[in-house]
Amino acid sequence: MKTDFQLLKTLKSRFYMQSIQTKMKLLIFSGVLIFSVTHLYGENSDEIFKKNCSSCHTIGGGRLVGSDLKGITSKRTEEWLLKWTKSSQTLIKSGDAEAKRISDEFGGLIMPDQLLSDNDIKSIFAYIASKGDNPSSASVTSAVSNTSDNATESDIQKGKFIFEGIQRLSNHGPACISCHNINYKGVLEGGLLAKDLTDVFSRMGGDAGLRGILGAPPFPAMTESYKYHPITDEEIGYIIAFLNKVDKDKENQKVSSFNPLLYGGGGGVVGLLIIYWLLWFGRKKYTVKKEIFNRQLESI
Amino acid sequence: MDIRSQVSMVFHLDKCIGCHTCSIACKNIWTDRKGAEYMWWNNVETKPGTGYPTKWEDQEIYKGGWEKNGDSVSLKGAGKFKGLKNIFHNPHLPVLDDYYEPWTYKYQDLFTAPEGDDQPTARPISLVTGEHIDVKAGPNWDDDMGGSPDYARQDVNLEKLTPAEQEAMFQLERMTFHYLPRICNHCLNPACVAACPSGAIYKRGEDGVVLINQERCRAWRMCVTACPYKKSYYNWNTGKSEKCVLCYPRLESGQAPACFHSCVGRIRYLGVMLYDADKIEKVAASSDDQLVDNHLDIYLDPFDPAVVEQAKLNGIADSTIEAAQKSPVYKFVKVWKLALPLHPEFRTLPNLFYVPALLPTMATVQDGIYDSTSKSLWNGVDKNRLPMKYLASLFSAGNTDKIVDVMKRLMAVRLHRRGVTTGDISKEEISSAMDEVNINADMADAIFRLTSLATFDERFVIPPAHREESIEMLENTADVKGNTGFGFKERPVRGL
Repeated sequence: MKTDFQLLKTLKSRFYMQSIQTKMKLLIFSGVLIFSVTHLYGENSDEIFKKNCSSCHTIGGGRLVGSDLKGITSKRTEEWLLKWTKSSQTLIKSGDAEAKRISDEFGGLIMPDQLLSDNDIKSIFAYIASKGDNPSSASVTSAVSNTSDNATESDIQKGKFIFEGIQRLSNHGPACISCHNINYKGVLEGGLLAKDLTDVFSRMGGDAGLRGILGAPPFPAMTESYKYHPITDEEIGYIIAFLNKVDKDKENQKVSSFNPLLYGGGGGVVGLLIIYWLLWFGRKKYTVKKEIFNRQLESI
Repeated sequence: MDIRSQVSMVFHLDKCIGCHTCSIACKNIWTDRKGAEYMWWNNVETKPGTGYPTKWEDQEIYKGGWEKNGDSVSLKGAGKFKGLKNIFHNPHLPVLDDYYEPWTYKYQDLFTAPEGDDQPTARPISLVTGEHIDVKAGPNWDDDMGGSPDYARQDVNLEKLTPAEQEAMFQLERMTFHYLPRICNHCLNPACVAACPSGAIYKRGEDGVVLINQERCRAWRMCVTACPYKKSYYNWNTGKSEKCVLCYPRLESGQAPACFHSCVGRIRYLGVMLYDADKIEKVAASSDDQLVDNHLDIYLDPFDPAVVEQAKLNGIADSTIEAAQKSPVYKFVKVWKLALPLHPEFRTLPNLFYVPALLPTMATVQDGIYDSTSKSLWNGVDKNRLPMKYLASLFSAGNTDKIVDVMKRLMAVRLHRRGVTTGDISKEEISSAMDEVNINADMADAIFRLTSLATFDERFVIPPAHREESIEMLENTADVKGNTGFGFKERPVRGL
């Protein structure tokens, strides 16, 4: 009996031990699994959001350049969000009424196409969803106070130099003027490759918006240009200070449509043609036998 | 005085028959080459006519020659400002159509054409492009076309005449023409030399022949524009300009230039003239009415001992001075005053003089009857078929008195000789004609002799070139003394 009991006991304890080991293994496995998943959702999505979205969007922080995304996943289907994120313009053009309405609401401001994989986009929205379901109550543009309003003259001047490329960006990124134009006295006409930045300060959400854009440019060409040459925070401050000034002064900076190079060049060409014509006027242009040849041809 | 010698020429237009033998002789020797086909260093024109190149006399078209500019002269077509204004382009050049497109015929087609119903023809092909062309003009397309609307009526010299005078020249039975053979004038004040930016053109010191250095020529073609006689031609093949060389290789060996030598009518005379080079600028800048007289005054009397002495001091050889004393040109131009320069108003002081043609008197048609009778054998010069104004435009810068004087002289000689040979003219008439122009019987006979009976050596008095001396200027001939001969093929040795 005793033997049986002992045997049973042994068996029981073995079984128990075994089950504890199994449970431990399961626990560790699931712990690792959970940790890795939370890491995926937590750290990585945060980073992608910050890099790609945060320059224009907040989650619960109110409307910036684009809308506040808190609770967006409960408002829209995932399919719609995927399409919108990949190419909002294509969606608008396809005749989607909701997309059109949003575009109108934001004054036709275009959301840049995001060159992200479906998984990344999904993970971003999962990340947004994790922040809460209820749409934010702070749905109007937050009255963010712009520190650049108080910028010193020297900051503005530094920003101007950086914009014009007179002062080189410390990480060797291209100067703003190579692609952008602004109407500001004393600044040469800039490039026409990208948008005019005269009113960018108010258009793109002031300090916060510009800081987001310049810190992590969302536009494909700009992304490529500054990928390996990021603009430092200090420089961003100067540039914003300058752009703020430009925006404020834009009414006084009406650049006349008179283009001295175009009209001067055109006038010069006309003048030269007149001179050539005057020189040409007294020249021997035809053979002196022209009359003879013509008369002979007529007589045939 | 800076006395120099100049080989000068006289063409007696009364004797020219317009046969173009001179042109062909020149062409065969000098310009029968690729790029030179259109060049006629010597050509014969019909006057009235447009000449070659067409309207060459109209300097408002071609901008040749000099313009009076205060006490001096300046080129009409070239200069620093004019060059700069045209960015060194030369806009007044004659084009190929102003000359003519030279052509030949595809003679081979006559032999190689396949058998057909028609005879094979040799089509004209351009000597410039090698392509078939429709021939539109030639170098003497106005030949003998004295009354033609295309050529005679376009004569630049007619501008000096009133419309009525022009009409008179083109009435039937009144029309006339004569020939005008032309070569380079080897001017005393050559515009081509002055215009050349490369310094390629020069006037030879010993005889005044104007030549283009083919190695220095850089194809500016300023000489083509500058020469008012259009006697500098551009060779499109070699990229150099070329002009009449007065057959200097022949001159240097004592032969007359080819056109002179071959002249059928014996109209050409060649001889040395001595002139004062110091006066060139002043003479070229004379007023129009003084131009011919001053031009002829620049030539000096080779018999004047002072002139001879100065000439010798200037290095002119005795033989050249002797040639100047025998020069037929000196006689025609200076002694007999029969020859005048062609278009002296171009102010280049040309050295080719023309004895104008004493053309027949005008006939009239009255009541359908052609009337050419006159009271005497020859009418007065005022009844000349060609208006004096026309001849004055050609030979005396518009000074008709000079032409009338020459005509009266020619007429006096003719009357005198008529008196000698037939005696059917009254002595009074002859002597009054001769006295009017100060010609005595001896002079008239001399003129007659040199005009009609002159021998080869009388017509061409060519000074020795003294090449045996001139080579000493270039090489030290003593260095090669003893080296004469061709050497030996086998050295001679003594003995057998």
